[in-house]
Amino acid sequence: MNGWMGKIAKIDLGSLEQETVAIDDEMRRRYLGGRGLGVKLYTDLCSAKTDPFAPDNALIFMTGPLTGTVMTSGRYAVVSRSPLTGTICDSSSGGSFGAVLKSAGLDGLVIQGRADHPVYLYVHDGGIEVRDASSLWGLNTQQTQKAIQEQTPAKTSVACIGPAGENRVAFAAIMNDKDRAAGRGGMGAVMGAKNLKAIAASGSQTVAIADPEGYKAMNARIERIVDKNPVTGKSLQVLGTSVLVNIINAHGMFPTENFRRGMFNDAEGTSGEKIAESLLQRQSACYKCPIGCGRTTRTKNKHGEGPEYETVWAFGAQLGVSDLTAITEANYACNELGLDTITMGSTIGCAMELSETGAWKEKLDWGDASKLLALVEDTAYRRGIGAELALGSKRLAEKYGRPELAMQVKGMEIPAYDPRGVQGMALSYATSNRGGCHMRAYMISPEILGHPVFLDRFSTVGKAEIVALFQDISALVDSTVLCRFLQIAMGISTFTEMLRTVTGLDFSDEELLKIGRRIYTLERVFNNRAGFSRGDDTLPPRFFNEELQTGSSRHRVVRLEEMLDDYYSVRGWDKEGVPLPRTLAELGL
Amino acid sequence: MVKFYGLLRRQVQPPVLEISTAELNILQLLQLAERRTGQNFLDELLDPEKKLLTGTIILVNGENIRLKQNLETRVSGGDTVDLFSPAGGG
Repeated sequence: MNGWMGKIAKIDLGSLEQETVAIDDEMRRRYLGGRGLGVKLYTDLCSAKTDPFAPDNALIFMTGPLTGTVMTSGRYAVVSRSPLTGTICDSSSGGSFGAVLKSAGLDGLVIQGRADHPVYLYVHDGGIEVRDASSLWGLNTQQTQKAIQEQTPAKTSVACIGPAGENRVAFAAIMNDKDRAAGRGGMGAVMGAKNLKAIAASGSQTVAIADPEGYKAMNARIERIVDKNPVTGKSLQVLGTSVLVNIINAHGMFPTENFRRGMFNDAEGTSGEKIAESLLQRQSACYKCPIGCGRTTRTKNKHGEGPEYETVWAFGAQLGVSDLTAITEANYACNELGLDTITMGSTIGCAMELSETGAWKEKLDWGDASKLLALVEDTAYRRGIGAELALGSKRLAEKYGRPELAMQVKGMEIPAYDPRGVQGMALSYATSNRGGCHMRAYMISPEILGHPVFLDRFSTVGKAEIVALFQDISALVDSTVLCRFLQIAMGISTFTEMLRTVTGLDFSDEELLKIGRRIYTLERVFNNRAGFSRGDDTLPPRFFNEELQTGSSRHRVVRLEEMLDDYYSVRGWDKEGVPLPRTLAELGL
Repeated sequence: MVKFYGLLRRQVQPPVLEISTAELNILQLLQLAERRTGQNFLDELLDPEKKLLTGTIILVNGENIRLKQNLETRVSGGDTVDLFSPAGGG
């Protein structure tokens, strides 16, 4: 078989039963791998009533048909139901773990049940060993990876949880290859609920290529494309993702102090340009990645990876904090403890506003960087007020009677773009299948950065079609499984070409888009069954009722209702956001 | 006032330039800024035919010139012009 390894392993951690199943040709053609195939397998195994922490909940690690082949193909996807949102969720991570898992002979791994003591899985040569992890329980993610690598062959790659996952913090991450994170949605907490500390993989199998000559020529061509593009070939390497800080701030939509303002006075001091001239030691890159957007950094006392754009914002402007060292060390702590930086920072911002309003008696002040590390650590261990922050912003704000102060959609915290300044992104947030997330349809690309075309960010006209299209393309790329940054330099036809040379399957561009649409719709069907509908496709009231007061987005609010009916119509969903029977039939669902 | 961001800062330091001049368009302003700084940074922003590269962002008082008259957009004293070379992130 070309592209895929042809096998998925299933294991029940309670009974320790294992089986290997083949993925048939139709499933591969309809869902590819990664997020798409993971969601399909999940929805076949679990219902919308499945508790994320119950033993029967499935946790699925998936590679894709391009994993271990072309550039940026070290990634993997994790699929389950999110304890943060209750939606279906996939989270993806870079590094090399995906490629190594595939070299162990598997396309993916489906985990159910709960071990009666801490374990880790060692996957090699298509088989799985369940190993005792009692001595690893309590270690942070760096210690865990090091300890397992001492027990396994060289070049073993490890994906693991830290104390946050063990303690089922609702936004615990899975960390691999040191500091790469499957960050969003609490997949690490699902892992912790299974008493599963880590998965280690090693192997030597290679991916069969359908058209070796075409593959070689195609690789040379995409290397030129990526190298020549000023973003993938230069900006991301030199300045990393935090180059966005000044750009988004200049557009008056850099969320400041829990989205009360759109401009941060000290954006410059936390920018990618500033990091490059101060903390940056070197750039770092994932498996077969020529871009190298990662930042290896050093503060006076510590070193590690990051911060990237979202984290600079989450521990910076969102909290009114301008101390770049404090931001960076909070990032290191999240990596070590296994926490999603976006939700962590945004939840602290929510807590600061709750404190300021008097709804919460704890004293947390805007701009106070001195408590950051303690707050992060206390959250991971659920100590003191950390036990409350571990709920995430939605539950925290509800608990103190001010639900409107949580900047979230469907329970997931909105990232670093104020939707009042960018209408398409507002629709993208509201309709995202995993909640407040920028990665389902990154409308910042056309509406701010001008890729692949420039769109008026304040207009709502035509945004529904583009958001739906971007959502479908993202679902497709997440199922191949490659890095989204490739989309900056190349269009869908290049992904079609990559799939053709690797798998031998001659998809058309239209067929690939239909795969993306099928995946997005299947996720929506699950969410509908879990109780989500039109009323959940919304944003916090602040974005509709409070105009931004300064900068070039001043006097703007979100005009969601101008886009939502069009969006449902484009999607073939009814007015409540439920896919119509003809839509399901057309997609074969 | 012209402010330089992103990769432009590798060439232009300090990254702020005060220009007092009569009204001119953005292309003329950029060419004047090149002369004043002694740095050839236009190829970070424009293609060889002097058109905006995909991803170049130029803001005049916070508004993107692509929503105005592109490089023909007029500016004068008191305006703030932000120059961003093509960038991405997420």
